[in-house]
This record gives sequence, C-alpha cells and structure tokens, in this order.
Amino acid sequence: MRLLIVEDDAPLASGLQRILEAEGHAVDVTARGEEAVLAASQEKFDLVILDIGLPQMDGFEVLRRLRAGPGGGGPMPVLVLTARDAVDDRVRGLDLGADDYMVKPFAMPELTARVRALLRRSQAHGGPRIAHGPLQLDTVARRAFLRNEPLELAAREWAVLEVLLARVEKIVSKEAIIQAVAGWGDELSPNAIEVYVSRLRSKLEPAGIKIRTVRGFGYMLEEYK
Amino acid sequence: MAGRSLRAHLLRMLLPPIAAALALGALVSYFPTTEPATHAYDQALVDIGLALGSHVRVMQTEYRFELPAAVEQVLRTDRFDSIYYRVMSPAGMEIAGDPGLPAPPGDAVAHDAQYNGAKVRVVSVQSPCGRSTCTVLVGETMVKRERLARELLLQSIFPELFIAIATLLIVWFGVKRGLRPLARLSDEIKSRSAGDLRPIDAAGAPEETQPLVSALNGLLTEVSAASRNQQRFLADAAHQLRTPLAGLRAHAELALAQPLPEASRAQVEQVHQATIRTARLANQLLALARAEPGARSTTSLVDLKSLAEGEADAWVHQALARDADLGFELAHAPVDGDAFLLREALANLVHNALEYSPRGARITVRTGRRYDGSAAPDSARKGGSAFLEVEDDGPGIPAAERARVLERFYRVPGTPGTGSGLGLAIVREIAASHGATLAINEGMGARGCRVAITFPHG
Repeated sequence: MRLLIVEDDAPLASGLQRILEAEGHAVDVTARGEEAVLAASQEKFDLVILDIGLPQMDGFEVLRRLRAGPGGGGPMPVLVLTARDAVDDRVRGLDLGADDYMVKPFAMPELTARVRALLRRSQAHGGPRIAHGPLQLDTVARRAFLRNEPLELAAREWAVLEVLLARVEKIVSKEAIIQAVAGWGDELSPNAIEVYVSRLRSKLEPAGIKIRTVRGFGYMLEEYK
Repeated sequence: MAGRSLRAHLLRMLLPPIAAALALGALVSYFPTTEPATHAYDQALVDIGLALGSHVRVMQTEYRFELPAAVEQVLRTDRFDSIYYRVMSPAGMEIAGDPGLPAPPGDAVAHDAQYNGAKVRVVSVQSPCGRSTCTVLVGETMVKRERLARELLLQSIFPELFIAIATLLIVWFGVKRGLRPLARLSDEIKSRSAGDLRPIDAAGAPEETQPLVSALNGLLTEVSAASRNQQRFLADAAHQLRTPLAGLRAHAELALAQPLPEASRAQVEQVHQATIRTARLANQLLALARAEPGARSTTSLVDLKSLAEGEADAWVHQALARDADLGFELAHAPVDGDAFLLREALANLVHNALEYSPRGARITVRTGRRYDGSAAPDSARKGGSAFLEVEDDGPGIPAAERARVLERFYRVPGTPGTGSGLGLAIVREIAASHGATLAINEGMGARGCRVAITFPHG
C-alpha cells in the first residue's frame, strides 16, 4: 500500500515512516501542507496520516482541500494526528472528513492497528470479499468459507459477524450490534446477541478466531495471529 | 478587609445635626409661647398696682395710704402665689406696703428679682396722686408662671419628640433602603463560583454604583483575558511537548522491534517507559492547571456513560496487556461539566486500578445516578445524583492513607511502580471544580479499592 505522512516533526515523521515501511508499505513523507495537497492531486495514495499542527497551512486546511479535490479524495482514508485534546478539534477533524483521530503521543502498535483497519475498510469498499485469517466472507453471494470450507451461518449470525469484522480489535457495544441487526423487524434483547455470539464462537474458535467478551459492554473480534 | 459600615457612617453623619436642629426647633417654638403668657400675668399685676394707687390720699404735703383690711385681704390672696406691694411718693419716700421690694432698674416696667428668699416678678405702676405721680410696685412669687412654663414646654416637647423619633426611623430605614442596591450587588458577586468571570450586569444598579461596577467589570475582563492566555499557553505547551514525545516513543518502539543485545534492550525499554510516563505527567499537569479554580473551563452537558464508552476501547487494550478483566456497568449520568477534565478524572481512576492491581485483577467502571429515598428511581428521567466509580480487587488503600493519597505527589510508602503521585490529586481537584465529592472505600467483600465521584443533585 502507498501511504503519505504529513508531519513537520522530523524525528516523529521518520519514526512513523520506518514503522510503516516495516509493515510493508511504501511511505512518502512531507513536512508541508501545501506539498501534501499537491502530491495527493498528482498521485494516488491508499492512506494519508495528517498532523493538524503544521506550519503555515494547517492540517484542517489540508484536509478540507483533500476532500474538496476531484472525487473528494476518493475512498482515500485520512488518519489525523493531533497534539491537542480539545473536543472541538476532534469534532472538526471528523466533520471535515477525517476517518480516524489519534492524540499524540501514541503507541506504535495502536497506530499500525488503526492503519490496518482503515486500509481494510477502504479496500472492502472496492471488493465484495472480506478476509480475516482463515475466514473469508463473500458479501455479494452471502457465502462464508473457513479454511476454504463452506461455513453455515444463520442470517443473524452473519449480521453480527459483519459488525465485528468491520471493527477488528475494537470493542463493539451490544447496543451497536443490536442497532446493526435491528433491520430484521422484531425486537432483539442483549441476551439474544449473547446467543448469536456464542454460536459464532463455537464455529470460529476451532480455527483460532477469537471473540472476546468485554464485561458489561460488548465484544471484540481479536486480530488473527 | 473589615471596613467601616457605610450605613453606620451615614447615620453618624446624619443623626447629630438632625438632633441639634430638632432641639433648636423646640427652643425656638418654646419662647414665643411663654412670652404672651408672661405678659398676661404682668398685666394682672399692673391692674392690682392701679387699684392700689387709687387708695393714696394727698393731704397738703403728706401722702396717706388707706386700704381697708378686707380689700388688702382680697388683694393679697392668691391660690398659688404670695403677692407683695410697695407704694412710694413722687420723691421716693415709703408710703406703705412691703419695704425692700426691689424696683425695676432704670426705665424698666417689670423685672425678675429675689425677695424674702424667693424668686419674684415685680411690676412698677405710675399712679396719679395729687398733681404728681406715685410709684406702686407689685410683686408676685413665680409658682403660677413656672407651672405655666412647664406646661407649655411639655406641650411643645411632645410633638417635637414625635417628629424627632419619626425622623430617626425615616433616616434609619431610608439609609437601609438606599443601600439595598449595594447589598444586591454584593450578593450577586458573592453567589458567583470562583471560575465565573462574566461581567457584572450593570442594568438596574444605581448611577452612583456604576463607577464601582465598571471598575469591577474592567478587572474581571482583565482576569479572564489572563486566564484565557494561560489556557492558550498550556495548550501550546502541551502541543510542543507531545510531538517530540511521540517521536521519542516511535523510535524507542522501533528499536525494541529490532534484535538487540539483552543489556541494550533493557536500557531502551527504560527509555520507552520514561517516555510514556513523561507524556502522562504532561497530561496530568495540564489537567491540574485546567481544574485550578479560576481557570475558565468549557462547561457543557456531559453524559458520563458516553464519556466512558468513548474511552472504553483504549482501556480494554491496556487491561488486556495486563491480563486484567476490565468490565463496565454503565447507566446514563448527565453532568454539567468540562468533558476534558471529566475524561481525565475517569482515565486517572482506571489507570490507577490497572497500575496498582496484580495481574488478573477484576476492575469495574460504573456510571449512573443515585437516588435518595425520597424519589423513586423510575419516577422521572431527570434528578438523582450522577456518579462515576472505579472498583478493583487489588491491594486497596489502607484507611489511614486515604486522606494523604489525595495530596499532590504523595505515594503510599512501599507502592510498586513509578507513578508521579498526581493521579488522585488531579481527580480530587476535578471533583472539587465540579462541586462533586470524592470518596475512597473498600470494594466488594471488603477487598480492593472503590473510588467514587458523586456529583451534586441534578
């Protein structure tokens, strides 16, 4: 994948570059907002990591111009970095079209996890297939495969799994799962969700796919190792 | 500064002159009333003098005074006073009466004098005798006159006294009422919270207090500008610190991802941990400064439940790294507060629970509303006291240490780890700045630690 880092602090920029290159990405770095806007207009990037506190043209302006460009910057996800924690900054960034938001300083594993999640999400937009380790979902044909063997999933199990797959390594509340599955007409209780999750577990855990329970909150589909 | 009371001062300035004016008024109205009365009594004496004068007989050069005893009896009889008389020839020789009754000096017709050891009023009457005139003096003791004067004085003093008391009351209440706008102004300022730097509403304040109000507003504007500048400085300082720390952390983690000799790995790990602690400390100092009374914070309606939900993902990952079982019991808990500070308070409590509990600890984050016995929980969606609490089953905080752990930079002796000792101090400051109470107790089954922040009844 091709990534663009827009960060004016040289040590941080080089650190990010090396970590993401170690993940197998091609990484370009610029310290100036104007250059980032120009580069994005001429070349295709799969993801932009954008610092808000840039000299001259700040990150908000860069984000506005990226999204105002032809095709709104396409599906290109933007991960915003900021040293400020004001809630307004966060809201403003997301309003301008940022896909995720991290406050400095952050742990590198968290950054790489978020980059992976954003790339997976934007790639999923392009294709009907979702992969998670040995699990593959064909969202058009609505067919699932585990270790290349067909996997039988009830409609609601499928819906719950889709919600969890969209947010790997992120905790998802039971309410959020109920909302995502609520299109099915009748009322769903949190207990019903527990039943679907336990069925999913019995089907997926033998293949090393783990769904963790977060007590009193919801579930998290762990990254496949 | 305990200054002099403006009211007492005003009363001190007003009352003596008013009292003096009233006393003077009493005197001025007293004398004119006694004058005609005195005059009437004098006229009665003159009449007696004229009657006595008509009893003088002129025989050649000799003057004889013939007064029947019965008439003298009548003349001298008075219910209250003794009456004296003295008849003198034109040449000034005594003819009859009480010799020694003092004559008015010079041309005066009447005077007050002493006679027989008493105060007397004496009038002098010129009475025709032959071709010349004799002088008749009539004197009278002062009993009647003094009684009349007393009565007149009393009669004039009662209305004066009434006016005096009425004036006093009017001044007393008038001053109190007149100072009421000042009292209102001080009430408005007193009822403010320490962080409320809005200008005072000058509408309705009397013209005389406008300079005071505008001076106060000027000061408030300056203070709030200074406070805003401080906020901006803190935000900038945080930015300046966090970016290099992010770089430092990135490189430390990069180095740790590479094969390193054991000794170097331990050192890089130290650098990595120090970086994380420094970043946390910078965050805490920022939070502490922002929770300081007077720091202008941005208040909005914050639901502690959504606040906890927003941070839950990060906490769960931290808990997983420590093998801790982090759970939630979240109910709606709306609070008027500063979202950044409340998040920081909650983050500090969760961090403490993770940091000081052994591996495999069970930690629970709760939010919600508590209802006292009077209101049924389901009676309304509003009301109740919002709370947030974090409970763990770790070693807990000994009861004797619970007050001290709230002090800045204090750590319980023998505590493992490398905390700064700021966490709970920050939580306490944040709770105080929201008018909330902080309580440290044992957890379930008298084990571990439960820290709860309870907000004022909503």
